[in-house]
Amino acid sequence: MGGKRMKAIEVTGVHFTYDDGTEALSGVDFHVSEGEFVAILGSNGSGKTTLIGLLVGLLKAKTGRISIGEREIGNLSAEELYQRVGLVFQNPNDQLFAATVEEDVAFGPRNLNLPEAEVERRVTEALAAVAALPLRCRAIHHLSFGEQKRVSLAGVMAMRPSVLILDEPTAGLDPAGEAQMMQLLKKLNREEGLTVILATHSVDMLPLFANRIYVLDHGRVLQEGPSEEIFCHQEMIVRAKLRLPYVSRLMYEMKRHDGVPIDGLPLTIGEARVQLLELIPKELIIAELEEKKT
Amino acid sequence: MFDLFSDIFTYRDNALTRIDPRAKLLIALAALIAVVTAERIVLPLAVLAFCLGAVAILRIPAKLVACRLAAPLSIVAVLVVIQTFVTGKTPLFAFTFAGWQFTAKAEGLRQGTLLGAHVLGAVSVVFLLSVVTPAHRIFQALRWFRISRNWLEIAILMYRYIFVLMDRVADLAAAQRLRLGYTARGRALRSFTTLAGATIIHSLEQAQRTHDAMRLRGYRGTMPFGPLPPLGRRDRLILVSCLIGIAAAYGLLEWGVSG
Repeated sequence: MGGKRMKAIEVTGVHFTYDDGTEALSGVDFHVSEGEFVAILGSNGSGKTTLIGLLVGLLKAKTGRISIGEREIGNLSAEELYQRVGLVFQNPNDQLFAATVEEDVAFGPRNLNLPEAEVERRVTEALAAVAALPLRCRAIHHLSFGEQKRVSLAGVMAMRPSVLILDEPTAGLDPAGEAQMMQLLKKLNREEGLTVILATHSVDMLPLFANRIYVLDHGRVLQEGPSEEIFCHQEMIVRAKLRLPYVSRLMYEMKRHDGVPIDGLPLTIGEARVQLLELIPKELIIAELEEKKT
Repeated sequence: MFDLFSDIFTYRDNALTRIDPRAKLLIALAALIAVVTAERIVLPLAVLAFCLGAVAILRIPAKLVACRLAAPLSIVAVLVVIQTFVTGKTPLFAFTFAGWQFTAKAEGLRQGTLLGAHVLGAVSVVFLLSVVTPAHRIFQALRWFRISRNWLEIAILMYRYIFVLMDRVADLAAAQRLRLGYTARGRALRSFTTLAGATIIHSLEQAQRTHDAMRLRGYRGTMPFGPLPPLGRRDRLILVSCLIGIAAAYGLLEWGVSG
């Protein structure tokens, strides 16, 4: 991880109430360092989308402070803000408004008044980054949902933001598409150094990808920390109307009801496999028996 | 309804889809002017036959052709009937219906047929253009003709969201049908009005979300467009040849035959 990282986003004591009186956020503190992969976990109505709206300037906080990098959000021009923070919407149809993939991805760079050669370069790079180069000349309405999701990500990537925010990026995707999207985000985070913030209520993949998790409930941060710390608070998880990852739930039940001596709570299949292999007598493991025979 | 808007044929590779959309647009415009200004029935019908022939060669399904021509054909039928019974002096035949006397007149029939031929010829030109050119390429071509950017922007957004809203309307209508929303006339009317209202609300919400997404990518009231390449030599040649062909056909069929 190296030395101390710069703050990418810092939210302090933010309150937000909608015009109809619904208090969506009350006293939220939230910070993300450069290059981090942070998840905002919460059930429906927990305030995830409101927090995202505030981070990209679509909503204005009544009280509290939001800083992007070193500067307060209100002091940034739209041009500066959207080259620092990009938002990928939950439904790609909200975001893909041009007729073709190429025109849509070029929309942002052209709004920045970049020379056409640079626009072209950014479009190619963004499409390549999300493995969507072959879709370049296709009409948007001919794309599958998974393809639309990737193209909408490319449209935001072409703005070259240093912070990428995604609202439910795996919603509506099949298991293969979900895994592909998460791997893509991991690659962008680890290889391209992009700071990734994703809002979700899908818990199963988070331990594999997120450095830290914020659990939101009724507009408040219930807990913040790395996944192993978050998911060991079973009561808090239930209170936030969430659940453990399925593999952790299995291990938890085996530990609680069957007395299986499991150390801690494995969060991924890999961790669970290692623990179970330690508990199973070696003479019962077929691979080991076959190895002995040969 | 989906067939009516389907553009999958425009992505096929054939001689007509390969022509630059600007050339196709100019040729279509010339053909439209020729059809609309024709004073005899032969030229519009020749254009109709040519376009339908081209559509058949391109193997566009007859169902799609029928679907797209259904509305103009019904307009033509109404036109012919109205003109026949309202315009002219020379009676062709007469009949009485519900105490009313109706007399068909030769001049009216001629006038109605000519107007109908204008409509069918013009519609067939537009139809042929629409099955060999994707909409976004037509929008690109329109930019070349200096059509207002704001108008184009609205047209592009409308074209894009027609498909999104159609999907939503289809889902809502299916949900209503599955709960017996269309089993009686009164109930069907109620379901339909609810569907129409829901569609308007959906479109307003969609507009808000799309506007937010556009703002987040630097939109400041004008959609930016990329540059257009110059018209190629082959396309210029096709354009000039077709324009000469249309002018020759006009001269021959409008003035030449009568001498």
